[in-house]
Amino acid sequence: MAFCIAVIGKDNAPLYLATSDVERELDLQYHVHAALDVVEEKCVIGKGAPESKELYLGQLFSTENHKIYGFVTNSKIKFIVVIDSSNIALRENEVRAIFRNLHMLYTDAVCNPFYIPGEQLTFKKFDRAVQKLMSGNV
Amino acid sequence: MRAAGGLVQSNASVEPIMSRLDYEQTALHHSCLLVLLRGVGPSRARVLQRAFEKVRRVNNIKVTDSSGTVRTVYFRFIHDHPVEHNDWGDFQTHRRLLGLITIGKFENQTELNELCRHHESLKVRYGSTLYESRAIFFGPDTHTSNANAKGDAQPALQTIGENVANTDQSCTEKKSQLSGRLQDEFTTPSNFKSQAFFYREQDIGMDLEARVEDFLNALFWVLESRRLERSREKADKVSLLLAPFEKRDFVGLDMESRNNRKRCVGRVMKNLADLSLQAGLLEDALSLYHNANETLRSVGDSLWVGATEEGLCAASAVILYPQMREIEVLHRNASLQETGASQLRTTPEKWRASDATKKINANACTVTTTAGSLNCTDAFTTHSSSCSSVSSILTNNSSASGTPTTSTSSSSTSTISVAQYGHRNGELPGNIIKPEDITNYYRKAIINYSKYRHAATIETEAALKASRICIEQNRPLDVAMFLQNILYINLSMSESDRVKRFEVITELYQQIGYQRKAAFFQRLAALKHVQQGTQTPDWTQSYRLMLGSFTGYLLSLDPLEVLENAAGWPALQIDLVQSLISAARRLGFSALATRHMTFLLQTQWDNMSATEQSEMAVQLQNLSAQCEGSPVPLVLENGTVIPPANLTDLPYLTHFAVRDLPAHLRPQRIKIAKADSGPFLFTPIHFNSVDRRDKKKEKNKIDFLWVQNDLCEVCLTLRNPLPFELAVTDMRLLTNGVVFESVPQSVVLQPNVPTQVSLHGTPIETGQLDLQGYSTHTLGVKSNCRLKHMRGRNFPPNYLVDVIPGLPSISIKTSLPQSASFSNMNSADLVVTSASLTLYNGESSSCIITIRNESNTIPLEHLEVYINSNVEQETQRKMFQINEQALVTQLPVPPLSTIEFELVIYADADFVCPLPTDSINSFGPVTSQEYGSCSLSQYSNISSQSASLPSRVSSPQYRRQDNINVRSKISGTQYSMNTLSLQTNGVGVSSNAGSGVHSAQNSQHVEAQLRIKFSGGEALAEGFCRQCAVSFNLELLPSAMITGWDVLPAEIPSQFYLVLDISNLTAQEMSLNYTDNKNILIEAKESCRVPIPVDRCSLEQICVARAAEVAENLERELCFRTQILSFNDALSKLCSTHIADRVKINWLLTGTDIKGIASVRGIVLSHGMVNLTTISPLQWAISFRDIVVQPHCELMCIVGQSAKLTISLTNQSLQPLKHLVLTIKFYQDYLNGIENYNLETRVAISGPNRITIPILEKYEQLDHNCSVIFFTPGRFKANIECATRPQESDSILTRSCPEATNLSQLGKMSSPPANLNTVSSSGLDEHQAHIWKFIPPIEVTVVEP
Repeated sequence: MAFCIAVIGKDNAPLYLATSDVERELDLQYHVHAALDVVEEKCVIGKGAPESKELYLGQLFSTENHKIYGFVTNSKIKFIVVIDSSNIALRENEVRAIFRNLHMLYTDAVCNPFYIPGEQLTFKKFDRAVQKLMSGNV
Repeated sequence: MRAAGGLVQSNASVEPIMSRLDYEQTALHHSCLLVLLRGVGPSRARVLQRAFEKVRRVNNIKVTDSSGTVRTVYFRFIHDHPVEHNDWGDFQTHRRLLGLITIGKFENQTELNELCRHHESLKVRYGSTLYESRAIFFGPDTHTSNANAKGDAQPALQTIGENVANTDQSCTEKKSQLSGRLQDEFTTPSNFKSQAFFYREQDIGMDLEARVEDFLNALFWVLESRRLERSREKADKVSLLLAPFEKRDFVGLDMESRNNRKRCVGRVMKNLADLSLQAGLLEDALSLYHNANETLRSVGDSLWVGATEEGLCAASAVILYPQMREIEVLHRNASLQETGASQLRTTPEKWRASDATKKINANACTVTTTAGSLNCTDAFTTHSSSCSSVSSILTNNSSASGTPTTSTSSSSTSTISVAQYGHRNGELPGNIIKPEDITNYYRKAIINYSKYRHAATIETEAALKASRICIEQNRPLDVAMFLQNILYINLSMSESDRVKRFEVITELYQQIGYQRKAAFFQRLAALKHVQQGTQTPDWTQSYRLMLGSFTGYLLSLDPLEVLENAAGWPALQIDLVQSLISAARRLGFSALATRHMTFLLQTQWDNMSATEQSEMAVQLQNLSAQCEGSPVPLVLENGTVIPPANLTDLPYLTHFAVRDLPAHLRPQRIKIAKADSGPFLFTPIHFNSVDRRDKKKEKNKIDFLWVQNDLCEVCLTLRNPLPFELAVTDMRLLTNGVVFESVPQSVVLQPNVPTQVSLHGTPIETGQLDLQGYSTHTLGVKSNCRLKHMRGRNFPPNYLVDVIPGLPSISIKTSLPQSASFSNMNSADLVVTSASLTLYNGESSSCIITIRNESNTIPLEHLEVYINSNVEQETQRKMFQINEQALVTQLPVPPLSTIEFELVIYADADFVCPLPTDSINSFGPVTSQEYGSCSLSQYSNISSQSASLPSRVSSPQYRRQDNINVRSKISGTQYSMNTLSLQTNGVGVSSNAGSGVHSAQNSQHVEAQLRIKFSGGEALAEGFCRQCAVSFNLELLPSAMITGWDVLPAEIPSQFYLVLDISNLTAQEMSLNYTDNKNILIEAKESCRVPIPVDRCSLEQICVARAAEVAENLERELCFRTQILSFNDALSKLCSTHIADRVKINWLLTGTDIKGIASVRGIVLSHGMVNLTTISPLQWAISFRDIVVQPHCELMCIVGQSAKLTISLTNQSLQPLKHLVLTIKFYQDYLNGIENYNLETRVAISGPNRITIPILEKYEQLDHNCSVIFFTPGRFKANIECATRPQESDSILTRSCPEATNLSQLGKMSSPPANLNTVSSSGLDEHQAHIWKFIPPIEVTVVEP
């Protein structure tokens, strides 16, 4: 369902990245990286907005093959999901759902007392859950 | 009409799609008149650059039209213009080329002809649209022209009538004439119809701008006429204007239909609007666009509706954002200065491309953004709030990692734009499009264009223009939207154009600070350049673009910066650098490839897995095989500097230690300046924190010194993190400050095993040496590994070592054999050689010490020799003697030469029998504090024992006490048990071991160091020296030993006998020489008793000693009792020294030449003994029957006869003696210890036998005469004594009585018993009773008549 799910830290360094296609991982990483500009822009615009700030940033940009969606948590952790452009069946609501689930997974992961904020996420459980999320059978 | 006709003609021959995109176009270019500015002829770009600039600077003119209003008309100069673009001139008039300026340089007529031909051909090429053309020609310099045309120049001048003398230097003033002459010299060909200006190369005409302005004016008026023409056209007469590709669409359509008429009118209206915009009539243009828009929309002419919408945007932008033009000018100037940067593009392109509008550098980028933000905030308000927006955009820039250096330029630009804008603010036309709507209009336009496949170029350009406007408005998201849209436009274009498109997108993203996006597209462009299937992969461009995308991935060319930031996306960074490496390899820049690989290893080491690390390391090794890496910056063709990369952590340094010089080479201060630390030697309190801070600051300061020209050492511990053997060669120390010669070191490191490496070097100069790290050569790369760049190991950034001037070095040899073991004395590390020697106690020997100055240049100028040993100072002084004077006279020692000196070693030891073991034991814990009480008891002991004479037990005890006294004087009050025990280890060893007289003594070991401080040269002037030592290992064997002693009166009053028991502790027979001529042989391990006559201790000495003692006591305010004891103490000591000074016992081991001197130092005398050793103050002269009584002389007398006895007393002391009582007493000695004093029946004395002498002055003599009658024969003795009148009834002083058994052996001395002693303290103390006796007593033999 999703090509790539990335969790990116405050300083824009990747904390976690999962792709469905290992061969294209680097290419996807480049795309995700390029998407960060828009994420930052949207975050800046969101500054000063009321409390009920929308964490979901919507589609950041799209290419021939990919649609890239963004989500930012209150602690400025960014989630990027890359989705196949040809998959028209996928509704935006579903993308939102992916982000919601991802957010929960992330929250669970960082609740681990052995996790130091800012470090890479290397938990197997988290990884499994994200892989599942990516393949669309949550 | 004509124009339309021409269009139709050209349409037939030209491809309907524009061949090339104009990526540089902005909305403002809609209002410009297009002029082709072209260099012709052989390219001499640099020469003509100034001319180009001058022409370009005239980019607008102010024209006053017929109605009197001033219009500003703008021009756009381009370098290249595809002819087919003119075909779009009806669609958008600004695409039509209106003017032509060629600039060329010629040297001769042929070249000029060529230039003219070029110009004409260009004219023909753009003939359909060209209004007017000019040519600017630069002729040859004056020199060459003079040389060339000397022959015909001269007559020409003649005819003109000019002054010949001035011609050479008259270029500037007579420029018109000269140019005139140029035109005269060279004639344009006949087919050259354009107007040409001729200039000398070195003086660009001042009138050039004016002429260009004229030319532009001409263009404008033609345009204006066209506009008026168009505006006057009748609505029903107008023909249909067509975009190039529309031709086919309208074939066979009814042109007269209502719809089509409307279409025609609308299009003409749009055309007129374009012209008005170009002619500077903005309001007219706006309203015309509005009208045309409405008209065309009603007929559904989407393409032209889009054009009108774009036109509206353009017209509004011209009004709203005039500063966009300003920036262009500004930028142009900037790019002029940075000609180096523009070389980034290859030279042929430079001619073609319109670099006037290129915005490559970040400078321009920020400027644009700044201006945009201004517009956004201040669009319809006053310009007063501009400051805040400037600041906001500045922060924006920095967050987007733009170049912060441009802040000044951006602020200056903003003020310009604000001022202009404020001026314009008041006169905004009502029908202008609001800034926020411009984006929407553009969006609509693009949507309209997108309906036509052939309008893709227009659409792309519109999108670019829109994004530029959005940049101006600071709406990055819209920019991103427009740019994203460009990618969707399906435009069949060449690969190079595709790349170009990516580059433009990159540039625009950079302008809005989207560094990541920019980097993304830059990388795409780079990949496009070399993608598979490309016929000519352009690795140069690819490399350049990849390098450019570094910032987007938070990489920097400087590895240190990257390490510092430690940010970004490691996977991407690694990938990018790897692509860069492969590009560099393809380019054949092995040096660059190596550098980038090194960079990769240095910066991304932590982000790579172990296998990746080793893979990369192997790759680096392969790359560096082609070109070795070295830590120097590389400069690319375009001037980019690639800073050096170093394999700082390969191998990984874990420990860095600066080593001091070896102890014997370590420099020291000759005189240690006493630190003024106040009254406290140590205080834990820091009064101010400054001290501590200083300490912290000087953390990297090494507290020892290095010496110039001396090899120094630094110890490293390295670890090889790679799984294979790592050969590190040419390791050297990296230093700053003084010149340092490093010795290269090579090492092969095993995987993951810490290895110690020592790096050596020699400082060549003096001063401060800054150790910064080390350099390595590993994996084919030379690296400078500086401590400050090593992270996570708490190294200071550098180490500072002071280097002092060179010191000489010496080598030392001794004439003695080396000892087997080195000493364990402190500072044993100073020892450079050793010597061992075995001596008998009392033996002397000498040792020749040879010092060689080993340094090549520095003389040895200062030499200080002293001994340090484990024996007491005083003993040490006796044991080791150096003639320092002689040594000093040998200085200085020139380089590489030697001196010698002699060290005399005397085996000094205690010859006097040591303490018995039990008393030592009792003595052990005595400390100085206990000394007082202890000594008191000792003294009282002696005084009570004094009658029983010096026993062996008591005397040594006293001696030990004495020793302690001496010691405590030496080392002050800090005498602790430690030192005591140390001492017993030294000298005391002998006493410890030899507890008994006959028990064999063990040998005694003395360790000593001959310390030599030496210096020379400059270092001496600075007060530095070196110290080294020779260790001496002395073994002292026992020889003679005095086991007991006593004092006996001698035959003459001026002497006494010292009786000594001497044991021979050697294994050989010993010959003992104890007086001048007396020798005695002692068998091994035997002892014997020898009497030694010794002169008595003189009175004066005693007096002095006493006086000193009294004075001292008074000073100390001690009590009387102490005074006496001290007096006795002093006296005893004095006598002991007196004896020790005079008595020297020479011994010789028979059969060998081993000889020595035993001293009697250290014997202790009891009170009685003391009296015997001193001279009495009274001198006796006694005559019996007028015969002077001699000692041991025989006096005869007959019974019943009176015999005359004369006693004469002389005071020899310095003071008068008072209250003396002279007593004469006869007695009979039965020689069995019984003396009979009851002789009333046997002898009678005439006159008193007690005579009181009140005072006896100094040197006064007193005579006493009496007669003696003996009644019975026999042997009589007379005891004649003189006593001071006793103050107390009982004198504390009594006679001493030596042990009879002992003395019985002493033949002739046995008969007069010891009770003849003059018991006297021989002092002048009135409180004390003294008795002086005449000794030996007179002995009279009375015989029968």
